[in-house]
Amino acid sequence: MRKKLFVALVLGLMVVPFIMGTATAKTLKIGSMSPLTGPYASDGTDIKNGVLTAIQVFEEAGGIPGYDKIELFAQDTACDPKQAVAAANKLINLEVVGVVGAYCSSSTIPASETLAEEDIPMLTPASTNEKVTDRGLPYMFRLCGRDDDQAPAAAKFLKDSLKAKTVFIVDDKTTYSQGLADGVSKACKELGIEVVEHDHVNQGDKDFAAVLTKAKAANADIFYMSLQGYSPGALMALQAKRLGMTSQIVTQDAMFQPKFMEVAKDAAEGVYLTYGFTDTTTPEYKSFEKIYVPKYGPIAAYATYAYDAATVLLQAIKTSGSTDPAKIKAEIMKMDFDGVAKRIKFKANGDSGSSYIAFKVVKGEFVPYWSPEKGLLK
Amino acid sequence: MEFFIQQLINGITLGGLYALIALGYTMVYGVIQLINFAHGEFFATGGYVGVILLSFFTGLGYMDTHPILCLAASFALTMGYCAFLAVGVEKIAYKPLRRQSRLAALLSALGMSIFLSNGLMLTQGVYDKAYPGELFQGGVNLGNITIGYLQMMIVGMTIFLLFGLNILVFKTKIGMAMRATAQDKVMSSLVSISSNRIISLTFAIGAGLAAAAGIMVGLYYGSVRYDMGFLPGIKAFAAAVLGGIGNITGAMLGGLIIGMVEIFGAGYISGQYKDVFAFIILISVLYFKPTGIMGENIDDTRV
Repeated sequence: MRKKLFVALVLGLMVVPFIMGTATAKTLKIGSMSPLTGPYASDGTDIKNGVLTAIQVFEEAGGIPGYDKIELFAQDTACDPKQAVAAANKLINLEVVGVVGAYCSSSTIPASETLAEEDIPMLTPASTNEKVTDRGLPYMFRLCGRDDDQAPAAAKFLKDSLKAKTVFIVDDKTTYSQGLADGVSKACKELGIEVVEHDHVNQGDKDFAAVLTKAKAANADIFYMSLQGYSPGALMALQAKRLGMTSQIVTQDAMFQPKFMEVAKDAAEGVYLTYGFTDTTTPEYKSFEKIYVPKYGPIAAYATYAYDAATVLLQAIKTSGSTDPAKIKAEIMKMDFDGVAKRIKFKANGDSGSSYIAFKVVKGEFVPYWSPEKGLLK
Repeated sequence: MEFFIQQLINGITLGGLYALIALGYTMVYGVIQLINFAHGEFFATGGYVGVILLSFFTGLGYMDTHPILCLAASFALTMGYCAFLAVGVEKIAYKPLRRQSRLAALLSALGMSIFLSNGLMLTQGVYDKAYPGELFQGGVNLGNITIGYLQMMIVGMTIFLLFGLNILVFKTKIGMAMRATAQDKVMSSLVSISSNRIISLTFAIGAGLAAAAGIMVGLYYGSVRYDMGFLPGIKAFAAAVLGGIGNITGAMLGGLIIGMVEIFGAGYISGQYKDVFAFIILISVLYFKPTGIMGENIDDTRV
């Protein structure tokens, strides 16, 4: 008898959420996809936090008419294409209105095709590979820049500002890092910079002594590292300094993380990197900073872009008053406003333009150093 | 030539670290024929406990006044902590399964590995943790060759620990008891050797060595992260198999070989193939000698 009572109680408890679910009024569901575990968990967590901040801002401003609350379903892609597709399917089953993500280009590309089958808008804050928007998917948007804009900007920086003649390139073989490294290699050759060698390391490596010893022997003007995430980058910079490598280190947008300096310490000083220009003096940035920093800590690479992506999505739902993808898209295409990361105006293919400039690490901070249009910034 | 010597130094450093981790795999296998997949996580935990202790000492200011003492205390406390952790893991996850099939214990080990690494992620966060200050940075320059103080320390510590272990296993009573348990658990218990105690001790020693490797990796590479146990764990396991699993000298040798092959493969051919070379060596050695390099007299010397 007691056992039966117990079973009845358990069954009763199991039903509770469903009753509660129907009792409460409507929730607006949006999804996010980023690596929350695995080697890129830190950048992925930043993306999730950026989206949560946008939701907080909207809810504090009165929410979205017709909905009681906005709920985020944050999915973990682990930067793995298979898991990204599974996450996309899960979000489809949850009937989300739109998705912010993913982080790795190699996840965004397959996941976006799954989401496209159901016409769910996807806005990536971080995937810079060209293919993301070049496939002509109608509901694919990109907030960050493109690798084929970043690579020429980096090569131009090497030639014009650093007067480089030779470069040694290393990447860690992801769609993003290798694609960008290939682009830089090509752009350098076009500008007459000699690529001494283009070597690769493996994802998850901690020891780069072998490759760095090779780079030290090659003694190129520039050591260009294209790695997926700040973590291997900081280790590589640290080990390069320890080995006494004299080549100037230049790197890319994935290093734009305060943790890069924290781990690499002195070795980070004087490193150059290309990253989308964000004006940190705008009122938009300041108000974002005020909400984000106390709750989640320093602002890193893609939190601002994720915030902008979620803002675009929620604003489009709010103004169109609908969750119909075609209407959301129409609103998104009409947008033209100053976001936190940059000015937001989408082109027909879903891109929103690139604004790559070179930053330099000075006293543990990223300082804007050079822009392709204006040259040295002071 | 300079290039070769520099790569040799790099290889010995990496190989020494692999050897320290490999010992834990091989000792546990020797005693209970279990491949303890959670071993890589003891190494990662060691790295984290080390960073916590060193940051604590730095905060108190002792790091500036007594650096060697602080470092020694960190090593001792970390190794002790991980030894206790390993004994606990053994009691919870492996001991109840000792009479079950080996597959059950193996799966339990895999589960423990996932549990521990995710536990580290949840308690310590997803970001890299930087080791404090500039501990023993710099090094000696001989022409174009750089030998870091940390590299010297790693090699020195590794040799010291390996010698200590050899003495413990082959020259002391405890070592004799361990070897006896490895050979025949029933027989050794008849001569009043508690096999439970010996098994716990084996786990503790293996985890202590891995924890030492964890701190050294943290000092050498400047940071630790929660998933750092996985890849070195796999490599060290390969090293243990290469040397002949169950054999202590074999594990040391296997670690050095894997480290060297990796560094030279990356240095002379290409960085992307370094793991490929490490495992080609493993496969070809096992093809000609399935017991591993030193795995011949498996019944006499294994622990």
